[in-house]
Amino acid sequence: MAVARGRSRRPLALAGAGLAALALIGLLTMMFGAVTLSPGEALSGLAGDSGLAGRVVGEIRYPRFLNAVLAGGALGVAGALLQGVTRNPLGDPAIFGLTAAAGLAAAAAIAASPQIPPWGVALAAVGGGLGGAGALFAAASRESVSPMRLALAGVALSALFGAVIVALLSSSRTFLQTNLGFLAGGLYGADWADLRAVLPWAAPALAAALALAGRLNLLSLGDDVATGLGVLADRTRLAVLAVAGVLTACAVAVAGLAGFVGLLSAHAARHAVGADHRALVPASALAGAILVSAADLVAKLVISPSELPMGIVTAAAGAPFLLYLVRFRV
Amino acid sequence: MRLAVERLTLRYNGREAVRDVSLDLAGGEFVAIVGPNGSGKTTLLRGMSRLLRPAAGQVLLDGREIRAIGARGVARRLAVLTQLHEEGPDLTVGELVWRGRAPHQGLLQRARPADREAVAHALRAADLEPLAGRPLASLSGGERQRAWIALALAQQPRVLLLDEPTTFLDVRHQVEVMALLRRLNEGGMTVVAVVHDLTLAGRFMRRAIGMRDGEVAFDGPPREVFRPDVLERVFGVPMDVLEDPASGLPVPLPRAPAEGGASP
Repeated sequence: MAVARGRSRRPLALAGAGLAALALIGLLTMMFGAVTLSPGEALSGLAGDSGLAGRVVGEIRYPRFLNAVLAGGALGVAGALLQGVTRNPLGDPAIFGLTAAAGLAAAAAIAASPQIPPWGVALAAVGGGLGGAGALFAAASRESVSPMRLALAGVALSALFGAVIVALLSSSRTFLQTNLGFLAGGLYGADWADLRAVLPWAAPALAAALALAGRLNLLSLGDDVATGLGVLADRTRLAVLAVAGVLTACAVAVAGLAGFVGLLSAHAARHAVGADHRALVPASALAGAILVSAADLVAKLVISPSELPMGIVTAAAGAPFLLYLVRFRV
Repeated sequence: MRLAVERLTLRYNGREAVRDVSLDLAGGEFVAIVGPNGSGKTTLLRGMSRLLRPAAGQVLLDGREIRAIGARGVARRLAVLTQLHEEGPDLTVGELVWRGRAPHQGLLQRARPADREAVAHALRAADLEPLAGRPLASLSGGERQRAWIALALAQQPRVLLLDEPTTFLDVRHQVEVMALLRRLNEGGMTVVAVVHDLTLAGRFMRRAIGMRDGEVAFDGPPREVFRPDVLERVFGVPMDVLEDPASGLPVPLPRAPAEGGASP
């Protein structure tokens, strides 16, 4: 007898539609900015045109777009992991304090050494993200770690680290002025060096997230059932939090403290593919990449030639969505 | 597969719920753990299935300390079903049962023919084949209980431990679940269940372990240990034990207090 393993929700069609949307956003990102390019110019710039289009696209817009994709993908996966591990629909790296922990470490590193290279910022952010994940786990564990305590501890840590960041930045006026984009979340000036600095962290963390997906499925059946099926519940939670911390740190290192991305992406992905984390993790990555690249495009265009921090756009989209969740779903 | 408990002490909510208990379950036994509320039955079952870390003593699976075997290794030999809680996950019966294959699968949980066979077999054994595509939430209580048992069966365990598998079920579903457990036992599986209903335990199971205040008060075939004086001492109520004329099995029956008067 054949037994279906899961409800198929047209995963290939959805993935194709998502990738097409991402490609369209990418094309628009290559076309619009201080100089407007035609689609043909944008594509020839992407292909390595040696003229103005090639420089604008190859050195500015294309790396910035890739940074947006990476930051969004990382935040989307972090959101899916946190919602899975806390069994809480409000799971999000910003709400649970990981964004603030990574941001605090990055801000401290920049404040201590303003000429720090991108790989140094990434390293500091990853240290902060892992520290935040560890603090979250420690604060939430008593005999074992309950999803509810994780959520409450996360909110407390987020407030604490956020306060320290602002205190740190307040002591340096110029730093505050030049880093509004960091505080609010933005991709201004994100380049190839930024991308190279976080890729060595993001790639293994994404692979680890996929590898943990099956165990997250079992953990969602409750600790007793998961233990009975051979999952070490607390060790899995610690691993999931650590991976979420690294992914959040990658996003913070290139895009600052953008909120709501993980929350929105993971919910959208769950709506599209269901609750199986083996599908949910990649779907959340795609949703996050679409969200952040689209938000960055909007942020760049809405008050052109000046630009908004990207995080303002995700917050503007995310806050109403959060209210909707609170009102109708939680 | 032999499951042994050696001088096991378990703490639950800060107190010693099980004190210095030793038991030896040979392969293929069909065992009821009975006792009043708070006597430590559930705690003992959780300790035996490594859901609870011992405060002292050890649990041995075929002579090896259960914590030394490794979580997945234990899960391939021993399955545990705790009391059903809430409405359950948003899954179909088939999806739930597939998750029982996790201890046999690799990291990405790719399905192999052996997995398909084990899932089909578990669904067949629990009589759930026609319901495989149904959401758990749409099942009756008895069907849902059998779906969780099928999840445990997909693990292909040699030992199955259950906490009150018949509680909250009507009598027909109670008998269905007990008959399923008996079939599994007859196939060679060791089955241990915490049960509240002494009649069901006496009717179906071949060994009854009585718990009282965290210690073993009696242990033996129901026909021998279900005696009025023994049951009264353990449960604190006067009991009669009738004999089923057809099978000769014991039928424990609490004695009602005299009408209008308090018990002596």
